[in-house]
Amino acid sequence: MPVNRPSSRGWTVVLVALLLAAATLFQGPRALQMARAVVYSEPGFADLPGAAAWSLMRMTVSYLASLAFAWLVGYQAATNPRAARVLLPLLDVGQSVPVLGFFPAAIFLFVTLLGGGRIGFELAAIFLIFTSQSWNLAFGVYEGLSTIPLETRAATESLGLRGPLLWRTLYLPACVPSLVYNSILSWANGWYFLIASEIIVSGPVHYDLPGLGSVMSQAFARGDLRLAIGAILVLTTLVLAIEFVVWRPLRAWSMRFRYDTQGSGEGEEAMLRLPDLGLPALMRAARTAVRALWAHAPARRGASRVASATARSLARGARALRWPLAAASVVLLAAISAMGVWAMVRALRPPWPPEAASVPLALLLSFLRINAAYVLALLWTIPVTLWAYEHPRGTRALTVVAQVGASLPATAFFPVLVALLVDRYGGMEMISIALALTGMQWYLLFNLLAGVQRVPNDLRESLRSLGLSRPAIWRRLVLPACMPSLVTGSVVAWGGTWNALILSEYVAYRDRVYEVVGVGALINRATFKTGNRALLFLSLAALVITVVAFNRLVWDRVYRHVNARYRMEG
Amino acid sequence: MLELRHVFKSFSDRGRVMPVLHDIQTTIEDGQLVCIVGPSGCGKSTLLRIMMGLAPPTSGEILYHGSPLAGVNLRAAMVFQSFALLPWLTVQSNVELGLKARGLTGALAQQRANFYLDKVGLDGYEEAYPSELSGGMKQRAGIARALAVEPDLLFMDEPFAGLDALTSANLREEVLTLWSDRALPVHTVVMVTHIIEEAVLMADRVLVMAQQPGRIAADLDVSLERPRNKRDPGFDALVDSIFEKIV
Ligand SMILES: Nc1ncnc2c1ncn2[C@@H]1O[C@H](COP(=O)(O)OP(=O)(O)O)[C@@H](O)[C@H]1O
Ligand SMILES: [Mg+2]
Repeated sequence: MPVNRPSSRGWTVVLVALLLAAATLFQGPRALQMARAVVYSEPGFADLPGAAAWSLMRMTVSYLASLAFAWLVGYQAATNPRAARVLLPLLDVGQSVPVLGFFPAAIFLFVTLLGGGRIGFELAAIFLIFTSQSWNLAFGVYEGLSTIPLETRAATESLGLRGPLLWRTLYLPACVPSLVYNSILSWANGWYFLIASEIIVSGPVHYDLPGLGSVMSQAFARGDLRLAIGAILVLTTLVLAIEFVVWRPLRAWSMRFRYDTQGSGEGEEAMLRLPDLGLPALMRAARTAVRALWAHAPARRGASRVASATARSLARGARALRWPLAAASVVLLAAISAMGVWAMVRALRPPWPPEAASVPLALLLSFLRINAAYVLALLWTIPVTLWAYEHPRGTRALTVVAQVGASLPATAFFPVLVALLVDRYGGMEMISIALALTGMQWYLLFNLLAGVQRVPNDLRESLRSLGLSRPAIWRRLVLPACMPSLVTGSVVAWGGTWNALILSEYVAYRDRVYEVVGVGALINRATFKTGNRALLFLSLAALVITVVAFNRLVWDRVYRHVNARYRMEG
Repeated sequence: MLELRHVFKSFSDRGRVMPVLHDIQTTIEDGQLVCIVGPSGCGKSTLLRIMMGLAPPTSGEILYHGSPLAGVNLRAAMVFQSFALLPWLTVQSNVELGLKARGLTGALAQQRANFYLDKVGLDGYEEAYPSELSGGMKQRAGIARALAVEPDLLFMDEPFAGLDALTSANLREEVLTLWSDRALPVHTVVMVTHIIEEAVLMADRVLVMAQQPGRIAADLDVSLERPRNKRDPGFDALVDSIFEKIV
């Protein structure tokens, strides 16, 4: 990730504590019983388009909400150093915490606020997707605004640009490249969590939230293979269509908004070589049409005056409301934190449930599963990367494969894994590791390929002329040169994969529950079965603390070391 | 036209106060081309930004035509070393930016932009993006953008430092031509440079700055005949005397 990680330890601790406290506010089963009254319908082929539309609606709503959040937070962080000191660690924690663990809490919150109906679940799902998308985007806005060159800022200021004109000509365009780049990541993340939330809602919760994920998991649970494959095909088509019609052209278009001084970044060339379908041409035509209409509009003067007056009064309103709003949110946050801490204290009063003793073992086993998947992923991606190094033509094709693989949500294949492996070949244990693997492998491959493309050719030739053998070149040049991108990919893949365990360690399939010993299973059981808050709190806390601590103590150091040592200059 | 009275500037860096400008006291007269020379890091850019109203001094006063300057001086314009063009706008739109900010739009703005693009020798490049231009052409666009707002006072911060030697010599001549062109509105120019020869070639008056803290070490009038040349008698002597004042 191009974002430099802020490390302010104090805030991290406070934030993690508050997050956990807020999560213990809820009680699982009671809320879910409220919801269970709703009819559970059997989906068929005719439901697929509707399901796709619903899934897309959730994605779009949460993406737009994330975008609004990103501008609010990113702008504050970039322009107000005092706010930045709080916001950046918050974003960092938000990005690295396994969000799926808090999904039950979100369901509870929205169900209690809005009743057990559809809207509560809809909002819970959208909220979950939002929490998976917004951090990235906020970093995107922050990066875009804070990398505006000093002289460019001075130039616009010296020309007297202010207000809406300044936003239109400087702030918005300056954020386009980083925002589009992060949008692609966020959008892929969003699919992953969308499918996961739909599977959880239709599985353990037994609630009907129409969507591709729920159709898929219900179809597999019934053994309706044709419907399940249909759902996967629809999903794949939808994801790829959006990738090719929206994101890729947007990405190519966004290159125009980069400053000359920046060199070309990660994997850029590979991206650009892919076809740009539709959008830029479409946008140009649309813009010309709008301009023409606007130029002939009789009410133009009035309209623009009204617009600028509205903007001005909005700005004035925002300025006037800033302190009351800030005060209100501080009070609200304080109240929620206080309630959370109180709930936590109550929940943690002894006697603890006997299962509490199993938390360390569960955590250890989950940790081992993740690392098993990580090692498996490395075992096949590194040889493939070396092959790609020797066959530059193959690299391009492989990059496309990795990008497509990374943009497909691994969670969509979860029902397939369950149907194939449950009761067979190691059963749940295999399913957990396989789901973790499907999530991380593409990410690693993608980053490794980007790294291999940056190995300078003259270095390789100089080593060849020194008479080094091929394996020696791999060991001395290629692998060290790939280290920075490997570590970048590993941090993201490793952190994101904890979510996979929460989905895959506890499965409701054909009216039976399958589980393994793991922290994900503990969280699910505490939420959906026993409703034990102390257990839930302990497992969540153990999980979050492990992940955040591992990031801080291990990955951050590895990242810094590798970047200091193996980064290629120029 | 512009008067600086006891201007001090310091930055605080993690609690430590770093003085950058120390008691700057000077007046820029109408119609002069003033060059500020000094070693890099002595505070030339900071001084220019303060004169432009982009940054407030820590203490002291800046008077523009006798009244204190509050905020950016919209009667002035600035040219930057890095050109500071917006990469996502065409050359024409870049030049029109300052006009838009002053409420001038449509055909009038276009006409004005075209006039100044013509003046700097960029006609035909209106629809080009900055990334398609060479360094010298980018700086021409930057100069057109500053001239287009028809300022009374033009600031230039090392405008030729990012260019190769030949281009910068060419552009220097052209800036001198523009400056002496009585048809153009701007006759007062303050230019920062770290090349002493450049200052002596161009300026009516040279402000020599010294380092730590940044202060004005000398204030010299250059009375050599224009157009000037490095082989003019007295040129080397003047360059040498400025050099001695810096070290
Ligand atoms: N915004 C700022 N914050 C902190 N220090 C600054 C800032 N701007 C300039 N400085 C410091 O002030 C000194 C003078 O800078 P500058 O005016 O750019 O010098 P010059 O243009 O003569 O090379 C430098 O030491 C620089 O580090
Ligand atoms: Mg400078």
